[in-house]
Amino acid sequence: MTLRQKLLLVALCTLALPVAGWLYVRQMETLLREGQAQALVASARGMARSLVVVDAPIPPAGPAWYVQRTTVPIAIDGYGDDLASLSPWAQSFGRNARVILAEDDHWLYFYIDVRAPQRRRADATDRLALSADHLVVSIASGDDTQRYLLASAAPGATTAIALDAEAGVLPDRINAQWQEDGSGFRAEFRLPRGLRLDRFGLGVHVIAEGDHEPLTAESRPLLDFSPSLSQEIGRLAPDGVRVRVLSDGAWLMAQSGKLDLPDLPYSERPGWFASLVYRSLLATRLDPDSAWAEDAPRIELPEVREALQGRPATAWRAGEARGSVVLAAATPIEVRGKVHGVVLLEQPSRAVPLLANRALFGLLLTSFAVLLVAGGVLLLFATRLTIRLRRLRNAAERAQDNDGRLDGPFPLTDATDELGDLARSFARLFDVVGGYTDYLRTLASKLSHELNTPLAIVKSSLDNLDHAGLPAEAEPYLARARDGVARLGALVRAMSEATRMERAIAAAEAEDVDLADIVRGCADGYRHLTGDRELAAELPTTPVFMHVSPELIAQALDKLFDNALSFTPPGGWMRIALRPTAEGADIELANEGPPLPAAMQGRLFDSLVSLRDKATPGDAPHLGLGLYVVRLVAERHQGMASARNIEGGVAFTLHLKGMPRQRLA
Amino acid sequence: MARSIAIVEDEPLIRANYVEALNRFGYEARGYGSRGEASTAFAMRLPELVIIDIGLGDEPEGGFDLCRELRAKSATLPIIFLTARDSDFDVISGLRLGADDYLSKDTSLHQLAARIAALFRRIESLKTPTASETVIEHGPLKLESERMRVLWNGIEIPLTVTEFWMVHTLVRFPGHVKNRDQLMREAELVVDDATITSHIKRIRKKFVALAPDFDAIETVHGVGYRWTP
Repeated sequence: MTLRQKLLLVALCTLALPVAGWLYVRQMETLLREGQAQALVASARGMARSLVVVDAPIPPAGPAWYVQRTTVPIAIDGYGDDLASLSPWAQSFGRNARVILAEDDHWLYFYIDVRAPQRRRADATDRLALSADHLVVSIASGDDTQRYLLASAAPGATTAIALDAEAGVLPDRINAQWQEDGSGFRAEFRLPRGLRLDRFGLGVHVIAEGDHEPLTAESRPLLDFSPSLSQEIGRLAPDGVRVRVLSDGAWLMAQSGKLDLPDLPYSERPGWFASLVYRSLLATRLDPDSAWAEDAPRIELPEVREALQGRPATAWRAGEARGSVVLAAATPIEVRGKVHGVVLLEQPSRAVPLLANRALFGLLLTSFAVLLVAGGVLLLFATRLTIRLRRLRNAAERAQDNDGRLDGPFPLTDATDELGDLARSFARLFDVVGGYTDYLRTLASKLSHELNTPLAIVKSSLDNLDHAGLPAEAEPYLARARDGVARLGALVRAMSEATRMERAIAAAEAEDVDLADIVRGCADGYRHLTGDRELAAELPTTPVFMHVSPELIAQALDKLFDNALSFTPPGGWMRIALRPTAEGADIELANEGPPLPAAMQGRLFDSLVSLRDKATPGDAPHLGLGLYVVRLVAERHQGMASARNIEGGVAFTLHLKGMPRQRLA
Repeated sequence: MARSIAIVEDEPLIRANYVEALNRFGYEARGYGSRGEASTAFAMRLPELVIIDIGLGDEPEGGFDLCRELRAKSATLPIIFLTARDSDFDVISGLRLGADDYLSKDTSLHQLAARIAALFRRIESLKTPTASETVIEHGPLKLESERMRVLWNGIEIPLTVTEFWMVHTLVRFPGHVKNRDQLMREAELVVDDATITSHIKRIRKKFVALAPDFDAIETVHGVGYRWTP
């Protein structure tokens, strides 16, 4: 991982900023919502209390019958088809009966559906009626109550007979319709609203299920939607809130207010992006269900159920209008510790609270900008750092390739920071290394220069000794001394040869010549020296003109040939090849022989590196300068020297590009 | 009467060796340790040949200065440079000052003697008429063996003794390739290949300086040189 990538990664830390902001805004949003909910609960509670206090017609506690309002005419026929729209809110009774109560302007309709797979049939007038399947219906108006026996042996019209003594305006018989099918029976009848019934009782007696009290009926108060209560709560309700009063069984008793929201001007409407951001980042989850509870007579909502247990509750749900939410708060109406009903306050609001959204947007934009700026600054910084480090590295590598010497000043040494320190350290280090390398390089030639004088003394002394009339037995010693001096002289000369060669090569002058001629001439010359080794020459047929120093080329070839000859076994092959290339020419000298050791490949052309075994006594010392000269020559011609193993031998190649042409002054 | 030779050499042992050897060869040699000493002596009497070490004591190029002084006094006095420094730079500088030869201290006393003899012979032959001269002529080249003179189109090329011997070797058998060993042997020279190359280069330069279209010395790469008539 590069420094730049690392710094970019570090820059990601600034992402913590928007995350923290997001958490904050979210919390703020939650708090706002909670506050809103609490306020609504408080006003609901207030309303519940005031309803009790103003003695509004609040629903009674305990079970009750709810009379639904019907808008369609209902025929008394014993079939529930015309009650289909009301049947979802049929009130179950006992284990096996469902009751639908409905009213229109004049009548109160009763529809009782009993599941009774096993029937025992008798007419109400039958004396066995009480021991057959039958219904007991009780009604009350004010203080008057009456019970009726309703039974029929066959489907069709029937009459419910009063069981009790005459009671005020209540009729002593009720015409009803009785219908049956395999699974049970149904009875339907109606009573005029003029009776002002306030209670209704029912006893379902199916003999097959066991019936011990054939005359009982469970009486419950009758409830219906109360316009007067609606008016009352309309007065009490706060603005912009829909108030509903629900009975103990969650039946809708009164309602006031609407869930409508005024339309926002187009400019203030949240865009789709803001909505998306809000929904995906901020919104708490809405309670999913119950849009259908809108026009229902019974409001079966979780918060209502909760309130019916005596605990206030709130819920957020999607509103009817798109992009709106509804906050619902339900509190029980309690009279002397008994829950009589629930006040349900519903407050519509925008799904995307603009305040929170704007805050979030501002935050997001700011932190994004900060992130960009921080990232950009860090990237710039990292880039600059990287560039500087790269410059330093390149300079160091260049210096290293160049034996510790760098052309020009070391970069960054003026910098005041740690990189500057590093650069100065490098510069000092390379100064030292360069000095040391220079010292090593010149050591040999300095040493040879210093050795020349004592050598000359010994040599001239020996020359003089020749004429000093030595005894004959001293002659061999003199010869040996002379031999030793000669070798010492050769050694000294070899030591300074590198420097001399460098100087000679640097001073060499180039001319335009045919390389093929030079190589051919050299090859011809070498043939006398190869002995029984075979020397092949591969030369192009066309002249290869280049701007080179022929002496240097020949000299380099001499060295290469010398090198090749010493490694080629007797009877082996050697090959000189000249190949023109796109940029210049390659001269290759290949020979049979042992492969180059891998460890030496890179240093083969360095000064004082030799692959040869130690020189045998009597040979001229070998200081490994030959290939170094080859390299110098190649470099003088803007090329390079390389060596590689080929099948059965090695190949040394001079890649030449020609010497730069000097401008004629 | 023996010929007088002055040796200016700061190293007393070498100086002593040379003086003794030259005396043995029949010359009247005298050694001087420094430039000042030599100058004083030369002011009184000029020797017939001077051998100068380039580096003299504290003066690394004192020999050159002395050479310049001597040339100012006498244009014909044979001067041989002798030095441990055998780099091309020194060679060229020394010759530009008009030295008649240049020898490394590697050179044996025998070779030194040969050069001294040759120089004296040249001086002698310049004094005598050219009748007995052995002359080799090749086109524009005229080589007078005795006087050790080389003329190109009648113009004398100022070659040193060593250079003359090299040219002589080449010219004697025109068209024959002489390798470096042969040239070295003929020129009584103990130097390495690179020095031969620079000698040849210098000879060419001297010819070219007076005859710009000179190209008679041909390099045979990998072998040596030959004179192409």
